[in-house]
This record gives sequence, structure tokens and C-alpha cells, in this order.
Amino acid sequence: MVKMLRDTVRKLFDEKKVDMVIGWGEGTLPLSATPVFIENADEADTLIWDERCSNNLAVYLTKDKRHLVKSGKKIGIVVKGCDSRSLVLYAVENQIKRENLVVIGVTCDGVIDIKKVMKRTEGKEVLDLRIGDKDITVGGRGFETVVAKKEIISDFCLHCAHPDAPVHDLFIGQPRPANEKADVYKIVDDFEKLSADERWNSMVESYSKCVRCYACRNVCPSCYCNECFVDQNDPQWIGKSPEITDTLIFHMGRNMHVAGRCVECGACERACPADIDLLLLNKKIAKEISERFNYEAGLDIDEKPALASYCENEKQDFIMG
Amino acid sequence: MIKIEKSKFSVFIQNLVGDFTVFAPVGEGRQSAFDEVADAESVNTALQNTVQSPKSIFFPQTEVLFTYNDGDVQIPEAADKPFFLWGVRACDARSIMLVDKVFGRAKQRPDDPAFEDPYWKAKLDTAVILTLACNEPASTCFCHWTGDGPFEQAGDLWAVDVGSSYLIESLTEKGKAVLERIENASPAGKTEAAEIDSLRTQAESYLGDLVDLSELKDRMKQMWDDPAWDDIAAKCVNCGACAYACPTCHCFDVQDEGKKGKGKRIRLWDACMFPLFTKEASGHNPRGQAADRVRQRFLHKFSYYWDNYGESLCTGCGRCIYVCPVNLDIRTVVKRFLDIDAAV
Ligand code: SF4
Ligand code: SF4
Ligand code: SF4
Ligand code: SF4
Repeated sequence: MVKMLRDTVRKLFDEKKVDMVIGWGEGTLPLSATPVFIENADEADTLIWDERCSNNLAVYLTKDKRHLVKSGKKIGIVVKGCDSRSLVLYAVENQIKRENLVVIGVTCDGVIDIKKVMKRTEGKEVLDLRIGDKDITVGGRGFETVVAKKEIISDFCLHCAHPDAPVHDLFIGQPRPANEKADVYKIVDDFEKLSADERWNSMVESYSKCVRCYACRNVCPSCYCNECFVDQNDPQWIGKSPEITDTLIFHMGRNMHVAGRCVECGACERACPADIDLLLLNKKIAKEISERFNYEAGLDIDEKPALASYCENEKQDFIMG
Repeated sequence: MIKIEKSKFSVFIQNLVGDFTVFAPVGEGRQSAFDEVADAESVNTALQNTVQSPKSIFFPQTEVLFTYNDGDVQIPEAADKPFFLWGVRACDARSIMLVDKVFGRAKQRPDDPAFEDPYWKAKLDTAVILTLACNEPASTCFCHWTGDGPFEQAGDLWAVDVGSSYLIESLTEKGKAVLERIENASPAGKTEAAEIDSLRTQAESYLGDLVDLSELKDRMKQMWDDPAWDDIAAKCVNCGACAYACPTCHCFDVQDEGKKGKGKRIRLWDACMFPLFTKEASGHNPRGQAADRVRQRFLHKFSYYWDNYGESLCTGCGRCIYVCPVNLDIRTVVKRFLDIDAAV
């Protein structure tokens, strides 16, 4: 896989089809890969692709990195299923010109959730990692454990219906069709069974640990407003301290702003330095969008976004009589 | 130096709880932090270090400076009990002293007026800090680069975990007063000293290669407008994760929360990575580009603070490396400026 990826990228440079390729390279910690920006064929060998490549690289096409797209460079980008959906979203929202991108899909079986690994090692630091076909061996001072991949894969990935880039120009490996059987909204279904009080208390408990560093927002490909509502200070929209009310307004505001736009990549949750469960609310909104508007973000460049179109047969039951 | 059996640890904490607000490492993984504890059972003694730093004890993320109500201004009362910190690592004890140079007894140059931040000082001056030697530095630790070490003595008391017991030595009068409260402690002798030596050697062997930072201050400044900064900043998503986790990042914002004539003035953490940080009232932002903000963070750590106080504002605790969502490793950045082979 990795060899194919490197060869493909080298060829793209040789044939002058790209000026830059955004992909993942070896990180400095055993469990992390790091985004790399490759500008010539020789650098293709720094590319890697495996379960550590958890960032959604689409983020480098908008926000503070918009200059890359604006430069008119022909950009190649390595994508998992969710990352490719972000590119579709950008095309739908006129943030990129699809024809200026070379989208390189890779077969994805999910990415590692570091906090799940840490649970398995009981908090012991991982110093060594070997990735096998079905399982991963992690080792540190005085221990070595073999873990089945599915036990340390991000929850987002466990419930992903589109692991292989639905939209791509090139594909490394064989793209599989959408996983119709993926239990996409299971966590939401379970949550909805709780009483209102239980739901509220669990929200408050979970979000009260948030330090408002905005890593979740900043790694999110769908959050690319020029000025986020939390950064507006004239007038100021919400309090800046991590008081639970303001924190919940931030998160719920963000969830509503990415409603019908969230590609369920999980980058937000994996980036969070305080381990907040960010999956649930995203999934809840995605479920609503799917049930009410029969829409999933980032699958079809020609489909109108859920919240930017109207159909007569949409559910109206939210309108109080 | 005295020796306390671990079975007596809870008695030790209990003895302090009445007269001190005791803070110690609690929680797991990324939620691990220094928090108030009521007993020894809540302390997580297995952590290499907490992911959230102890800076929030003296410099809370949100702190009320005063409340106001129709011209009546009230300053919140200082904490009724002094703080006792159990299990601070050498790097973090040092970080408190580095921030203290800014908030505490700052006199940068002879002609500078000293400035003391009363909120910071009230908490720190009465606090007793017990530093616990690091038997197992993490792979992200590089405290030896910044002039520290896992067994460096710092704070008011210094302790070493020797398996079945803790060896504790007092370093200041405040520390001595705490040790005197402990009954039935046995004195530590030569065997214990040997144990400490072997643990120290082992701990130091876990640290990576040493890098000499003495040239860094000038290098970074000379390369102020070097394109290297754009390369380094390319992957940074400008979140505040690194700055919020960092024990020495101490920038803050001041805000009024309330309505017409009634409310509170608060001080809260801010970070140079945020676009709003330097945005001026005119709308102009002198650090408008993401790369400008990345440069600021590193220059503040390794250049500006060094100019003012003669050392770097980084203690090598490695938290920023651990929390960064894109693995932008501060060690790689430092090496790049020192021309030590490292790809960013
Ligand atoms: S909200 Fe989270 S899961 Fe959704 S697109 Fe953004 S980063 Fe991905
Ligand atoms: S990344 Fe985590 S701590 Fe930071 S703002 Fe988001 S939820 Fe809060
Ligand atoms: S810059 Fe990083 S390594 Fe240095 S003190 Fe801050 S968090 Fe620790
Ligand atoms: S260095 Fe990492 S943690 Fe710091 S702002 Fe950049 S992306 Fe966030």
C-alpha cells in the first residue's frame, strides 16, 4: 500500500500533474503521524499510510491555509473516506475548484484512537508500535500487549459507512462500496433511550472538562468561518471562560453550524486534549439530518445541501400547531 | 531526610488536609490534572505526569479580580487555607518559578519598577510545594535541554518514591515545618541515599540525547523572517491546545461579565495562537497570519523571555508535544534552528 502510494505520488510529480501533495508522514511519537506537504518527487518517500493517519487533511485547504488553494497550485491530497467527503463539501460550498485537486483515495479500516490505546495499557506510555493485519502490538517499559485493531479504532470509524473515498481521482487499493450495514447511529439510539435528566446530566458532566482551547474547531474541516462566533468581540457573543453555560453554547452552536455538513471524521474528538466525548452530538445531528432530509454530507457534488434546499415532503412535525 | 512507608501515606495527607488545601495528581489520561483532594485514595500515584499542568492552581483559567455593583467594588477574599501541592514534577516546580518572575517579583532591569500581581502572590507565597522525583520520565520529556533534570530538587520539599516508601527532604523553612508534623517517621540513611542514586541514574538513562540551547535565542531572532517559519507553521492548525497545556504559558485576557453597573471583572487564559489575541480595536492585527502566531509562541519561549530573565520559558515538560493534534513537536523546531538534522 505505502509503496503504491509513494509510486503514485512520484508519478504525479514526474508527469507534472501536481505542484504539491498533502499527505501523512512519520510523526515523532509512536502513535502519531503528522501532516506533510510534499513539493517534489523525491519527497514522496516520506509519505506513509496506516492506522495512525488520523488527521483530516482537507483542513489545509481552508481557514488560515486558504492561501494554498488561492495560489492556484495544483494540489494532490491523500484521503480517507471522511476526508474525501470534506472535499465534496468544499466543492458544494464553492471553497475549492474540484478540477484543481488530484484526490488520491486510500483503503481505510479506521484510525487509532489514542485514548483507547491508553486504556489498554492502563495509562502506561507506548514507546513501540507494530501494526499487523488484524492487530496492533504496543509496547513500553516492561510490557507488550497485542490488541485487536477493532478495539482501538476510533468510535467514529467503527460506525463509518463510507471508509473508502466515495469521490477520488486515483485510488490505492480496491475501493469498496458503502457499508450499508454500518450501525451508524447506534450510540445516538442508546442515548435517546435515557430520560431528559440523564441526558442533560451526562452532557454537563462531559462538557464541564472542556478547556475551550478550540482544537476541536480548528481541526474540523467543516468549521471554516472567517471569524468564528466565539471569536467575535464587537459585540461579544458568548463568555470566554469555560463556564458550563458558555461552553455548551459553544459546542451546541458549533454542532448546529456543522449540521448537514459534518462528515463524521472524528478529527474533533481525537484532537481534544481533554478527552471530551464529541461523537454523540455530532451523530445526533447527523441522524436528524438523515431522517428528516434523507441527506448525508459530502457524498455527491451535485446534490443541494440539506439546509440549503426545500422539498415539499419534508417532515414538518417540528412546527408547533 | 525522612522515610515514610507508603502505608502511612494516607495519614500524611490526612494530617495536612485540615490546615491546607491539598492538591495532587488525579484522574486518568488527558483528563489527569492537579486537583484538590480530601484523602490519599483520590491521588493517582501511577501517573508519569498530569496532562493538564499545575499552573491553574496559582493562575486559574478564570479568576474573578473584583465584583462591582453600582460603584461598590469588592475584591474576593483570599483563600482561607494555604495550598499544599503533593507530587509536582521538577519541571513543573520550575515552571511556577519562571512564571513567578513575571507575576511575582519581577524586576527585569535595574530601572524597572518591580511589579507584584497580588492574586498570584497571595496564593504562591503561602503555598508549600512538594516535588516528587521522576523515576520514569516520558519519551516526550526533555527537561535536560532546558537546564533541569528528573531528580532536580525544587520547591519546599523534595521526595523520591523508592517503592515501598517515600523519602522526603525539606528544602525550605516552610517545608521543614511540614516535615515536623510527621510523627514516627524514620530518618533515611546511607542505604536510601544509594537507592536514590541508582534511581536517578536509571531515570536519566531514559532521557534522549542532550541538546545545547545556548545559541538558540540568537538563532531564532536572526532567522525572524526566515521562510523556515512558514514550513513550521504549515501544519499547525492554530488551536490553543499547546498553550493551554503548557505550564509556563501565562498570557491572559481581561473581561467584564455582567449587566449595567453590576458584574465582575475576570482574568482568563488567552493564547498567542488565537487570531483575536493581538487584534486591535481598529481591526488591524499585527499577527494576522497563522505563521506569525506560531513564530511568536516559539520566540516568546526561547528568545524574548530569555532576553528579560536569562533563561528559556520552556521546562521541557513535553505536554505540548503530547497534546498537539498535528504532532508539531517543539523539539523538532528547536533542532531545526540549531541545524541539528531534523525534518519538520
Ligand atoms: S464536527 Fe468533528 S466529525 Fe464533524 S466534520 Fe468536524 S471534525 Fe469531523
Ligand atoms: S478540543 Fe476539547 S477542550 Fe478544546 S475546545 Fe474542543 S472540546 Fe473543549
Ligand atoms: S513549551 Fe511545551 S515542553 Fe516547554 S514548558 Fe511548555 S508545554 Fe512544556
Ligand atoms: S502547535 Fe499544535 S497544539 Fe499548538 S496551536 Fe499548533 S496545532 Fe495546536
